[in-house]
Amino acid sequence: MAQIELENITKQFGDVKALNNVNLTVRDNEFFVLFGPAGAGKTTLLKTIAGAEFPEKGLVRVGGEIVNHVESKDRNVSMVFENYALYPNLSVFDNIASPMRSRLYKKDEEFIKTAVDKVTKMMKINHLLERKPSQLSNGQRQRVALGRCLVRTPNVFLMDEPLAHLDAKLRHFMRGELKEMQTSINSTTIYVTHDYMEAMSLADRIAVLNHGEIIQIGTAQEMYYTPCNEFVARLFGEPEINILEGKMYIEADDIYFKVLNQDVLLHPAQDTIEALRDAGTNSIHIGMRGNDMQFAFEKPGDEWMEGTVYANEPIGNKVIMTVLIADKKISLTCPNDTVAEMDQKVYVKFNMINAIYFNGETKEFITRNNMSRYTAKKEG
Amino acid sequence: MSNHQQLTDSSKNKSILKILEPIGRNLGLTLFAMFALFPLVWMVICAFKSDAQMYNTVFVFQPTLENFRAVLIGTDYFKAFFQNLVVAGGAVIITVIAGVPCAYALARYNFKKKEDVAFQILSFKFAPEIMVILPIFLIFQKVGLYDTFFGLIWVYQLITMPLLIWVVRGYFEDISVEVEQAAQLDGYTWYEVFFKTLVPLIKPGMVAAALLAFIFAWNSFTFPLILSGFKIQTITITALRYIASDTVHYGQVAVASTIAVLPEVIVALFIQKHLVRGLSFGAVKG
Repeated sequence: MAQIELENITKQFGDVKALNNVNLTVRDNEFFVLFGPAGAGKTTLLKTIAGAEFPEKGLVRVGGEIVNHVESKDRNVSMVFENYALYPNLSVFDNIASPMRSRLYKKDEEFIKTAVDKVTKMMKINHLLERKPSQLSNGQRQRVALGRCLVRTPNVFLMDEPLAHLDAKLRHFMRGELKEMQTSINSTTIYVTHDYMEAMSLADRIAVLNHGEIIQIGTAQEMYYTPCNEFVARLFGEPEINILEGKMYIEADDIYFKVLNQDVLLHPAQDTIEALRDAGTNSIHIGMRGNDMQFAFEKPGDEWMEGTVYANEPIGNKVIMTVLIADKKISLTCPNDTVAEMDQKVYVKFNMINAIYFNGETKEFITRNNMSRYTAKKEG
Repeated sequence: MSNHQQLTDSSKNKSILKILEPIGRNLGLTLFAMFALFPLVWMVICAFKSDAQMYNTVFVFQPTLENFRAVLIGTDYFKAFFQNLVVAGGAVIITVIAGVPCAYALARYNFKKKEDVAFQILSFKFAPEIMVILPIFLIFQKVGLYDTFFGLIWVYQLITMPLLIWVVRGYFEDISVEVEQAAQLDGYTWYEVFFKTLVPLIKPGMVAAALLAFIFAWNSFTFPLILSGFKIQTITITALRYIASDTVHYGQVAVASTIAVLPEVIVALFIQKHLVRGLSFGAVKG
C-alpha cells in the first residue's frame, strides 16, 4: 500500500506525445480513476507506473521512492491489461497462480490453492480452472486477468478497463465487488475506464485525461457539478450535457441571456451574477443537463421555448427525448411513460438554477449556482 | 407406390454413395502416396540389387547385401555420417542460439533500418551458393578455416539462419507485448520471462524451422564440396565416390543415400506434431 506520485511525466512515441507533463498524486488507499476518451494516454500512464514504459522526462514515485530505474518486477505492482495478456500455454489455474510462483513473490502450493480458490469463486470462474485461455470467452478471460491481479497484495493495483468486456449484469456485480474489496483490504488502486458511470461509482477521485494531459482532478461530484471546461462536462452524464451558445446582456441591475435565436430571456441565479459580470465576454455557453429542463406539449407560458420532437428513445427507467430548437438538438430526460410523435411540437423550459456557465471563447468554466456547496466539499 | 419406390431408390443410391465415397477417397490417396513415395521405394530396391541386375530387372531380382558390405565396411562411410551429423547438428544449434534472440529483436525493438536488416537476412537465401562460393573459398584458405568443422558450421548459417529467423520472428510478433509485461509484473526476471513464457509459445515454430534447417544443412552439397574434402567429408560428398571413373555403382549410391535419409526421416516422425502446427502461423493467439 503506497502513495503514487508522478512528477512532470512526459512520454513520447515517435512524434506523438502520449503524456505531456503529467503531475499526479494518488493517495495511499485511494481508489483513483483515470477517465478520458480513447487515445488520451490512460494506458500509457498506467504502464509508466507499472514500469512497462519508461518516461522521457519526469519522476515516478511509489511510496516516496523514485522508481524510474526500478524494473517492473521489483515495483510490486499488480496490473490488469486491457487485452488480458494471459499466458496462452497455461491453464486458468496456472495463470492465476503465476504471480505466486515467481521467485520474488513465492508462496507454497497450499497457500496458492486457497488463494486461487477464493479469487475464482469471487469472479465466478471456479468451474473453468482447467481450461486454457483460448477456450474461454472474452468476459471469462477478462475475469481470469482480474483474478491474476487480485491474488496478490501489491503496493498498488493498476486496472486497465478490467470490466469492459463483461456483460452488463456481471459488470454491475463486479463493480460492487471491487469497491467492497478495496475498502476491505485497503489498497491503492488506479483504475482506467471510459465508462463514466463506472468512474463515478467507484472513484474516490477522478482524473480526466485528454491528449496526454490532465484536464481536471476531483471527486465524482465535482466532475459532474463543476466541470472545469466543456470537454469534462460532456464526458459525464447521460444524455450528454446540452451546451447552449448564448449571448449575455448586462443591464444596470439585471443580467439575462438569449439563446438559440429565441426571444425568451433567461435569467441566471442570483449568486452567479457577479462571476458572470466579471467573465469579460458576453459570449456565454450555458451547460444544461437533460434533467434540468421541463417540457410540455401545450404552451404553458411565455418563458417556454418552442421546438419539435426529433427522437424519443425509451431506455428502461427513463425516456431520452431529443428536441430540435432552431436546428440545435437538445436532449431531455423524461419520465418513463412519455410518448411523443416525430415532429410533434413541444415546449421546453430551462431550469436556470442548475445551469453551468462556460466562457464562450475559452470554453472554460465560469460559475454555477450554489458554488460554495461544491467548493466547500473540495476542501473537506 | 411409385413414390415409395423412388424413395427407396434414392436412399439406396445414397447408401451406395456412402460406401463408394471413402473407397474412392482412399484409392486416390493411395495412388498419390505411391506416386510420392516411389523414388524412395526405388532407392531402397536399388540398394538390394547387384550391379549385374541393376538394368535388367524391375521388381524381381535376387536381393543381396553386397552393396551394404561395400559401403559400410569397405569405405569410411560411418566417419562421413558422423561428421555430417556434427556439422549439420552444430549448425542448427548455433542457429537456434543466435537466431532466436535475433528474431526477438527484429520483432520487438525499433531500430533504424530494421526492415532492411531483416530483408538482408532473408536475401542470403536468394543467391545461389555457387555464386558466393569462390570468395568464401579464398577467404577460408587465407584465414585457415578451410576444411574445419568451425568453418563449415559457420558457412552453413547462410542456409539455416534466415529460415529460422523469419519463422520465429512471426511467432514473436504474434505474442502481445503485454504478455511479457504481465510476466515481469508477476515477478519474473527477463530470462525467466523468456524461457517460461515466450519459449513455450514459439516452440512449434522454432522446432519446425530447426528441423527444416537441419534437413537443408544435412543435404547441403556445394559448400562441403568446395570448402572441405580431406579432413572433413560430409555424406553428400562421400556419395559421389561411388561414381567411379569406369562405372557408376548405383547400388552403392542407393545404399549411401538410403542411410543418409534415415536421420531426417526419424527426426521428422519424431516431431511431426510440431511440424504441422509449427508452419501454420498464428497458432499461439489466445
